[in-house]
Amino acid sequence: MLISLNWLKKCVKIPVSDEELIRLIGARLVEVEGVVDESHKYDGIKIVRVETAEKIEGTHLTLCMVNDGSAELTQVLCGAPNVHEGMLAAWIAPGATVPASVHEDAPFVIGTRKMLGKYDSHGMLAAPDELDLGDLHDGIAEIDPEMAKPGDKFADIFELDDKILEIENKSLTHRPDTFGLIGFAREVAGILGQKFEEPEVKAELETTGDIKIEVDENVCGRYTAVVLEKHGEIKKKYLSLQDTYLAKAGMRPIDPIVDATNYLMLLTGQPLHAFDYDKFVAVGGAKEPKIIVRLAKNGEKLTLLDGKDVELNENDIVITSNNVPVALAGAMGGASTMIDENTKNIILESATFSLYNLRKTQMAHGIFSEAITRFTKGQPAYQTLAVAGECAEMLKDGFKVAGVSDCYPKPEKTPAVEIATSEINNLLGTDYSNDLIKKTLTNVSFEVSGDANLKVVAPAWRTDIHIKEDITEEVGRLLGYDNIAPVLPKHGTATPSKLFKLKSFSRQTLKEFGANEVLTYSFVSERLLENAGLDTKNSYKIVNSISPELQLVRQSLIPSLLDKAHMNQKIPFDKFALFEMNKIYRKDWGMDEEDVPTEKMNIALVLAERKTTGDAYYKAKLFVEKYLAKLNIEATFKPLKTKTAEALPFEPKRSAEVWVGDRYLGVVGEFKTVVKRNFKLADYLAGFELDLLAILELESPKLVAKDFEIKDKQDLTVTSTKTYAEVLAEVKEKYPEAEISPVGIYQPEGKEEKNITFHLEFR
Amino acid sequence: MEELEKLKLELKSLNSEYAKIKEVPAEKRGEFGRELNAKKNAILERIKKAEEALLDADVVPLDITAPCSSNEPLPEVYSVFEGSEHPLMTELDRVTEIYQLMGFDVVESRQLDDEFHMFDSLNFAKEHPARDGYDTFRTEEGLIPPAHTSTMQHRVLKAYKHNLDEGKDIAVVVPGRVYRNEDVDATHEHTFYQCEGVFVSKDCTLGNMLGILREFFEKYYEQKLNIRTQPGYFPFTEPSLEFMIEKPKSLGGKKGDFLEMLGCGMIHPNVLKMAGIDPTKYHGFAWGGGIDRLVMLRYGLKDVRHFESGNLNFLKEF
Repeated sequence: MLISLNWLKKCVKIPVSDEELIRLIGARLVEVEGVVDESHKYDGIKIVRVETAEKIEGTHLTLCMVNDGSAELTQVLCGAPNVHEGMLAAWIAPGATVPASVHEDAPFVIGTRKMLGKYDSHGMLAAPDELDLGDLHDGIAEIDPEMAKPGDKFADIFELDDKILEIENKSLTHRPDTFGLIGFAREVAGILGQKFEEPEVKAELETTGDIKIEVDENVCGRYTAVVLEKHGEIKKKYLSLQDTYLAKAGMRPIDPIVDATNYLMLLTGQPLHAFDYDKFVAVGGAKEPKIIVRLAKNGEKLTLLDGKDVELNENDIVITSNNVPVALAGAMGGASTMIDENTKNIILESATFSLYNLRKTQMAHGIFSEAITRFTKGQPAYQTLAVAGECAEMLKDGFKVAGVSDCYPKPEKTPAVEIATSEINNLLGTDYSNDLIKKTLTNVSFEVSGDANLKVVAPAWRTDIHIKEDITEEVGRLLGYDNIAPVLPKHGTATPSKLFKLKSFSRQTLKEFGANEVLTYSFVSERLLENAGLDTKNSYKIVNSISPELQLVRQSLIPSLLDKAHMNQKIPFDKFALFEMNKIYRKDWGMDEEDVPTEKMNIALVLAERKTTGDAYYKAKLFVEKYLAKLNIEATFKPLKTKTAEALPFEPKRSAEVWVGDRYLGVVGEFKTVVKRNFKLADYLAGFELDLLAILELESPKLVAKDFEIKDKQDLTVTSTKTYAEVLAEVKEKYPEAEISPVGIYQPEGKEEKNITFHLEFR
Repeated sequence: MEELEKLKLELKSLNSEYAKIKEVPAEKRGEFGRELNAKKNAILERIKKAEEALLDADVVPLDITAPCSSNEPLPEVYSVFEGSEHPLMTELDRVTEIYQLMGFDVVESRQLDDEFHMFDSLNFAKEHPARDGYDTFRTEEGLIPPAHTSTMQHRVLKAYKHNLDEGKDIAVVVPGRVYRNEDVDATHEHTFYQCEGVFVSKDCTLGNMLGILREFFEKYYEQKLNIRTQPGYFPFTEPSLEFMIEKPKSLGGKKGDFLEMLGCGMIHPNVLKMAGIDPTKYHGFAWGGGIDRLVMLRYGLKDVRHFESGNLNFLKEF
């Protein structure tokens, strides 16, 4: 949302500097995302009178002599059809910049140039679009002689020495009232500690009830319709202040009727829509208009104002003429009842609709207009009649009110909230007096009675006020949260989380082993899982993923690590180990007791070297053994049989299941040839994936209460065809007192048996 | 091997069948083509399987219980000088340690959650447009990879409610990974880390919240800081605020250069009520903010994309 400071200042007295005001708005109302300083945008642009205007034969140009308030006239050529003697216009003097181009990369600076080979043209007479006041370009802007005289600065006359605030809409989601300038100004008065002067409603309409209106109360809280009958022409000749307000809010002046509805929307927050009365009646096939507001039926069709055909769904609200859809409520009018230059009579709509339905409409049809932005905040119903009346008043030169109907089945009420000032102070941590609290609330038009125990009634537009905390927020915010002293509560220390300690210890340990911790995305592609041999159907699937690369929730960390190993091998890094600790989900694990997917936390590592020889399995196994040993866990390695997701990329002949007693921890090993090939990784490749929560349960502090003196030691070689584990078990049985470590395995060429050498220490 | 040869022959003869399509009446050609394609895909699948089996047949088994292969030296892990810890994770450890010393328990956030915890339990009205502000991902089942760590608030309140019955406070922080459906650039990631804080007691105030937050940031950046707030809107807090710190000079900040660090506020009574806590007896405050930004500021990092890049050139700096 864009807010012009100059327009704001018309609604509220501001006794502080612009800088201070912007700071206060940021601190007490809403984030100001940016400030566009327009104070020099119109430098060098003056009001001039066209003293003479002669058509140049055979061209579309007019030779003008203009009076810029100085003693001498200046010659300017002008191509606009509406240039004429005696008019006032905006003249961009040589050396000045065309305002519409100020924010472009190469702003357009006007000079003096020779035209048609013989005429010097000094500067230019500007059209509204060149002045950045809309997109009209069918003639130069004509200026009301009652507003200005030659030589006046254009910026002074049209209040263009301005700052435009860019407001972050999101944090005003609950404040529809601030989407009108009056509501915004009221808040500014409140944060400045002033009483806001509520604007008067000038023209109160009497309801006559002669238009039939039926609404579905669930989706349309109030529908006011005013019939305006044409009795004259609204001649729009001059550039107006209203045009500049529209332009500064980012809207385009179009024609008097649309401009009036847009202007009132910007001022009050209440969107309006104008239907061509006669078309409306004709579409409905009746003699009189009958307005029915209802939910659309699936498949119903409507052509919108912008010519787009939309297929409606049952969440859309439609305005119908005797049940024939003529507008997509809150979003956009329909083509069949659009006003045009032949429009005689108008039905002016001022209504409120369910923000929930409009939110879906916005998404379904991709309509993000200024009107729907306001409606989806939940515009209150109290002012529809008053705003329609204002609009009728603005159009009175061309139209007179011929009928007013107001369908308001369940009038909104703002409840009274009872709250003690002590409750406010106790929640905020403040010491505000009863008087200050009352004044703060009444400044923004709350009705407050009582003293220490308050009864607070919110104004009609504050439909967001329901409970005590809402009142507390108003007081805290308007008086400034920054005025509340930060005080630490008294509280002891907490016990460290065991899981976080384990994770921290694990990353330090693996770092010591020369491995590198990575973080990889929780979402992976189908291809990645297939490359690793996993079943894609076991992954939860994201329906609105950013790309196919991020479509499936991962079941295992290994595929992501293999992917990153490939990337790093390409950089190239010749040898490295990547590890990650993170959460995983699998569909076949089902739901937990909270009825959300069962989750696990794994720790996984992939080591890769750019070589083709050697058995990487043993290195990965060493990582596992050394890591677990630090946590006082001794694992056994069993043949890989499991078919669970973490095991699928591993080659069963060169991998093992990791067990601690009867507890399965995970897998360690080398990868299947096809997996290595799919990930384009060199042969020397292995890894592990273990259940970190199981490790958390198994870990224990390592006790070193032993005798450090070694009394005896010896090396022992066993010749056998059995596995290492079997031989080790035999040695252990024979020397139960010994600490045993491996020295090496020697297998003579052509022999079945291996010579396994152990080192034994006795303490 | 023979199996594979046989399959390849089958494929060849099948390919020649395609020529017969000319003889098939026009109206049956579609069906004919589909049948042939299905047959072809089945054979291709079997060829793939056979080729993989062939690859696997060449694999030499290992003694998985041994410490090394025969006639090879014992393996060694890599040098400590090559190792690194991820900066986001070590900083997250610092963050949780600071909070823990201030009395906060630590619970990690989920990475896949449901609509109830992400929105309903946080006082978001059903279908309310405020839900759109979170750009959530959804699974086919309607599950949500959480867009904020507040998804854990309801759980934490319920799990620690007994503290209140025992006359103690609830004080918990919840770090975790969160997801937003947005385009990635130097300052935006669809995957990032947040840390949530929840505090409930009989008499805590908004001033206490500001006190805790200031204390945290001053400990984290190891210096005195200027703080500032601005009003915010979250359905689950009332009042709601955004908390800012002035960027420290030592980190390249200028005076008046305020950075939004997190959203915070007094927990909405409905949120307490839903967790079974009586909002007339207790009140609390909560906050949540990004960890990535905190760490980027601390290390002077300019591009958030490094964190999830897995690139060793980056990782080895830490």
